[in-house]
Amino acid sequence: MALLQNMISIIGENWLLLLVGQYPNGPLGGIAATMILSVLGIALAFPLSVLMALARISPWPALRWPVTAIVYLVRGVPLLLIILWVYFLLPLLIGQSIPGFVTMLVTLVIYEGAFLSEVVRAGITALPKGQMDAARALGHSHLGAMRYVILPQALFNMIPSIISQFVSTIKETTLGYIINVPELTFAAGQINNRLLTKPFEVYFILAGAYFVVCWTLTGVANLLERRIAARRAGILNGGAEAAGLAAASAGVSRV
Amino acid sequence: MTHQVSSRDGVPMIQFVGVNKSYGAFQALVDINAQVKKGEVVVVCGPSGSGKSTLIRTVNRLEEIQSGSLIFEGQDVHAKMGSSALNHLRSRIGFVFQSFNLFPHLSVLENVILSPVKVNRVKRSEAREMALQLLDRVGLSNKAHDYPAQLSGGQQQRVAIARALAMKPPAMLFDEPTSALDPEMVGEVLAVMRGLASDGMTMMCVTHEMNFARDVADRVWFMDAGHVLETAAPDEFFRSPQHPRAQRFLSDLHAR
Amino acid sequence: MKGFDLMAVLLNPEFSGMIVRGMEMTLIIFAGSWLLAMSLGVILLAIRMLPGRIADALVAGYVSYHRNVPTLVQLMLWYFGISSLLPDGLQLWLADRNGEALFAIIALGLCQAAYFSEDLRSGLRAVPKGQWEAARALGHSYVSAMTYILLPQAVRNAMPALVNHTVSLFKNSSLAMAIGVAELTHSVKEVENQSFRAFETYLIATVLYLVCSLLLMWVGYHLERRSRAAGAI
Repeated sequence: MALLQNMISIIGENWLLLLVGQYPNGPLGGIAATMILSVLGIALAFPLSVLMALARISPWPALRWPVTAIVYLVRGVPLLLIILWVYFLLPLLIGQSIPGFVTMLVTLVIYEGAFLSEVVRAGITALPKGQMDAARALGHSHLGAMRYVILPQALFNMIPSIISQFVSTIKETTLGYIINVPELTFAAGQINNRLLTKPFEVYFILAGAYFVVCWTLTGVANLLERRIAARRAGILNGGAEAAGLAAASAGVSRV
Repeated sequence: MTHQVSSRDGVPMIQFVGVNKSYGAFQALVDINAQVKKGEVVVVCGPSGSGKSTLIRTVNRLEEIQSGSLIFEGQDVHAKMGSSALNHLRSRIGFVFQSFNLFPHLSVLENVILSPVKVNRVKRSEAREMALQLLDRVGLSNKAHDYPAQLSGGQQQRVAIARALAMKPPAMLFDEPTSALDPEMVGEVLAVMRGLASDGMTMMCVTHEMNFARDVADRVWFMDAGHVLETAAPDEFFRSPQHPRAQRFLSDLHAR
Repeated sequence: MKGFDLMAVLLNPEFSGMIVRGMEMTLIIFAGSWLLAMSLGVILLAIRMLPGRIADALVAGYVSYHRNVPTLVQLMLWYFGISSLLPDGLQLWLADRNGEALFAIIALGLCQAAYFSEDLRSGLRAVPKGQWEAARALGHSYVSAMTYILLPQAVRNAMPALVNHTVSLFKNSSLAMAIGVAELTHSVKEVENQSFRAFETYLIATVLYLVCSLLLMWVGYHLERRSRAAGAI
């Protein structure tokens, strides 16, 4: 079909732009910029989210309430509005103008920090209460128990959810388009403005690119989730029992 | 103390003819040939894994069979039939589950009314009256407007029996009705079942409650490893079981 | 930079007018896309339960597309891409009549339908198998069992997820700004351009969004509690 041929030729002519933006004749863009933004975003958001989660479940209200308020604030407002806030406030606070890339990064760290803190909090509270009890009974302080017993387990169990949030972050980078951050969507916009007559092909390619990346990562997350769940079941029931359970549910009568 | 023998007896209501069932390579039911007569109370007993639950679940086709036929009221339950024919057949067989399976989002009264109204197309006001009578019969009319989560296990199971009776079935099946109950609640459910039996209901029960079997059953079927090994009147069965495995089962029971 | 003066924005009729109209547009887009998403979500679930693998694969594909492609890109594909494929007459007609809003509602609605159908599906899976057996044992047909026994419980189970995704949908209405819809965020940016009072205008928008989000969450919370009837499970 003509559409398909057009798409192939568009990719053929513009693949470099889509991949790295206008580099080296301009800032790094395209898929490269999208991925760097996402990886940096989630990497920086992660420690922040752990701190926020710890604050939210800490026994001290002076720590709990402000952090809870911040999380509700960030979750109740559209990402676009947060971008506008950061775009406006950050140069004021720093005292000099900030490139769009940095604005977007800071926004992502704040936004993902809040959402990820909910994921971390859920992961921590999902652990059996006995773990904390045992740690405290052995004499660990609250923070010590967190550091050596709770967090290592919770974070491992949360890996699939974290990958999910990473996929969300990739999708959120598209909003950089609004403030002219040179990421993938922006590159596609540039191509469209040049070609003008093939908008469907251009945006379909854009959708396809994101689909491939996100779908692959989601698949990895699902795979890991199954592996981890199986491992958890094995630990709780003892390996032999788990195997026996599996055989039993396979097809023996329910008598 | 069995219920009155009447001229209705002798007419088979549930007939197993050469019934076989497997799950893949495992054969759960092996060449079952037996029948439950109208007005009869049959108790099916045997060790765990013998196929008792599977047997009773084939009667209303909650489980499929691979060969043989299962006749209820002259119809083969496992013949090829349309879904509305099967639904109608099922509405004529009452089934009480081990885990009650009351509908949690409906009140007790609504649980009992729902199926007569939607399946049997009874008028709502009629159904309501009948439901209140049935709840009274099982001793729970004061709980009509409560929700299942507010009831004890024994109470929930009694509601489940009322719910099944509301369809006015000619036969009732009980799949380990008291096994999930705390011991002190077993009695109230068995009392309802005894009442049903003495009213002449055709019943088939899978149960471990041997006293109930001794007092109420007309026949006891002993199952092991998918076979019905022995059928006898309860007096005979409990006094002198014929099959060696039945003997072992009963002696294990008494050893407890 | 002028001092903080909220009233300069709120009392100015032109500015407050733009903000109010922006809020109206946000609510229109939210309502339209929510209705579309909910109805389509239920239909998708129904399709998924048809026998055969094709129906299931189709819906799974639909869900996968809408969950892996960023919402903004979906909007752009509809507004820039698909509209260009429409016959010229239709394109002109739409351009005259606020076509952007319509495309926004369609794009957002279709996207969220994927999430709603997955929420309902999870809710349905969480209903114990015994409920299904009890319904069948009593003689209910498939449709009757679904309507009176299984779906009510499925919706109850899915409530938290449905409420969360409803709030997401509300916030996503701001993305329509990228295709020129004059909803709240767009209006706020316009007012900021003209008044040079970024802090005040952004604050007003923040408060409006926050109040609406919290209201939605509060309503959702109460619906959840009521649907649990007496004696929660």
